[in-house]
Amino acid sequence: MTAGGEEIVRAERLGFAYTPDRFAIRNLSFAIHRGEVFGLLGRNGAGKTTTVRVLTTLLPPTEGTGHLFGRELHRCGRAERARLGVVLQSESLDFVSVERNLTLYAFLWGVPRELAKSRAEEMLALFELEPVRHRKPWSLSGGERRRFQVARELMHEMELLFLDEPTVGLDALTRRRILEYLARRARGGLAIVFTTHILQEADQLCDRIGVMQGGRTLAIGPPAEIKRQYRGPRSVDVEFEREIAAGEWDGLLGRLRIRGVGLEVTSSSPAALTFRAGNAEDLVAEVVRWTHESGAGLARLSVHETSLEEAFVTLVSEDAAAEPAAKETLE
Amino acid sequence: MKPPAVVRLVARNFAATLDPITLLVMFGQPAFLIVILGTMFNQLIPSVGSSGSYIAFLVPGMIASQMITGAVLCGRIFWLDRRWAMVEQIFSGPFLRAEYLAALLLTALLFSLVGVGIMVLVALPLIGIAHLSALEIAVILGTIALGSLFFGGLLVAIGGRIRSANLYFTIQSLLQYFLIFISTVYYPVTSGTPEVLRAIVYANPLTYAANTVRDAFTHSFGPGDWVAGGILAGLALVSFGLAVLSFRTLELGPVQ
Repeated sequence: MTAGGEEIVRAERLGFAYTPDRFAIRNLSFAIHRGEVFGLLGRNGAGKTTTVRVLTTLLPPTEGTGHLFGRELHRCGRAERARLGVVLQSESLDFVSVERNLTLYAFLWGVPRELAKSRAEEMLALFELEPVRHRKPWSLSGGERRRFQVARELMHEMELLFLDEPTVGLDALTRRRILEYLARRARGGLAIVFTTHILQEADQLCDRIGVMQGGRTLAIGPPAEIKRQYRGPRSVDVEFEREIAAGEWDGLLGRLRIRGVGLEVTSSSPAALTFRAGNAEDLVAEVVRWTHESGAGLARLSVHETSLEEAFVTLVSEDAAAEPAAKETLE
Repeated sequence: MKPPAVVRLVARNFAATLDPITLLVMFGQPAFLIVILGTMFNQLIPSVGSSGSYIAFLVPGMIASQMITGAVLCGRIFWLDRRWAMVEQIFSGPFLRAEYLAALLLTALLFSLVGVGIMVLVALPLIGIAHLSALEIAVILGTIALGSLFFGGLLVAIGGRIRSANLYFTIQSLLQYFLIFISTVYYPVTSGTPEVLRAIVYANPLTYAANTVRDAFTHSFGPGDWVAGGILAGLALVSFGLAVLSFRTLELGPVQ
């Protein structure tokens, strides 16, 4: 990540409304820097796609301001769009073969013929489209079509790539290979704005993420920071070296209940215990102390890391609970 | 150095949408009509006005109708681009909406002119070489250009307002047949033509185009044709305005 790199996207209280009382996105404020991978996460209808469409100048913002390469979105034209790559959620294609689609798209972008040919070969290999190079894109499987969309966009040079759910329908291996490729391109200075429902891949690829709900951003930050802030209750597994007597259990659980926040014992056996709590680290210290005092001996103790998905669920659920009448939005 | 955006878009329109079957249908059908309809009716109709034989009457009409062929292709490209999200994809790239519209209309014009060439070649064995002056050739090409702009603009304007493929292609087919059949492409308006039909035929811009092309072929080009050209130019301007308006308010997003 090059968070200190040149700023290429800036949104300040950016909003878009389909009608004056029907906002799809509102009050979005963030910046994206060169070489940064910025993920937009959110449930269906959270406003991710609308955000992409506004930032790619397909929709004009109706409030706030946005800048692309330092130029106000309303004033952005050919010069700014020539520096973008855009893979939209809706599949786009021409009625020619996969290979011809790639070279034709490159031609449209003014890529020299020889370069287009060699790049098409590279993309066909990278995205495993060689076996279907002579087929028409609409006859491909869902995953192949998605790979084709990304491959075609990578036929030309760009400084900022928007990917709206690029990995939908892809198998795990293909997804991993594409994410690795995108990470390499980001290290080379390409900024990427990436929307996805697969939080694991956002965690893997993104330098920062913005969690959206109801057209607003609930949180923006590096995945580790989001996980730390919104981790919710964490799970702790404890295994003792011997079986614990009933009276000893009462003593241990009593101490955990006094200090625990939202303590929930999820399973127990004569020599093991699993519990969840909002302050799991504090309780781990308590368990260690009790084990030492009781002489039970600690065979194993592990605290489960919060996944981005768990943090996302916590964040979105908290927001939904805080604002039950969430505004109706459209993507 | 890369070609200008409009040129790249026009080249892409041709490369992406033209396949042999489409070409065969779009050019084969009018060519077939010249040969079959022309030959068959030629035996039944002794002469038609200043054209002489029916086939000599029909050929300029079929040439004029090529503006519809080009416009239909232009509307088809636009609609398929909307249906398969290429409009959004192109608009998010280094192109202006005006360039995309210009490329569509230019594609219609070029396709119409190719059609004119094919019709002339098909008619060659049937009516011989038409000895036309430079002015007459210019009038024919100008008429085709204005007609392509009018019909192409009209179909783009309609296509930009409709979100259903079925509806668009139904309207396009109806319009195509209505315009061609209620015009002077296949038959002349005479004193025996019912008044209502005559009014409809003269409300059809294709009639003016067909009459002008025919007059150029029969070397009877006169002031009336300049008026017809002026009307066609005015209509083309209106149609272009509608297409621009349609583009400015074009709702991007999925269509069915």
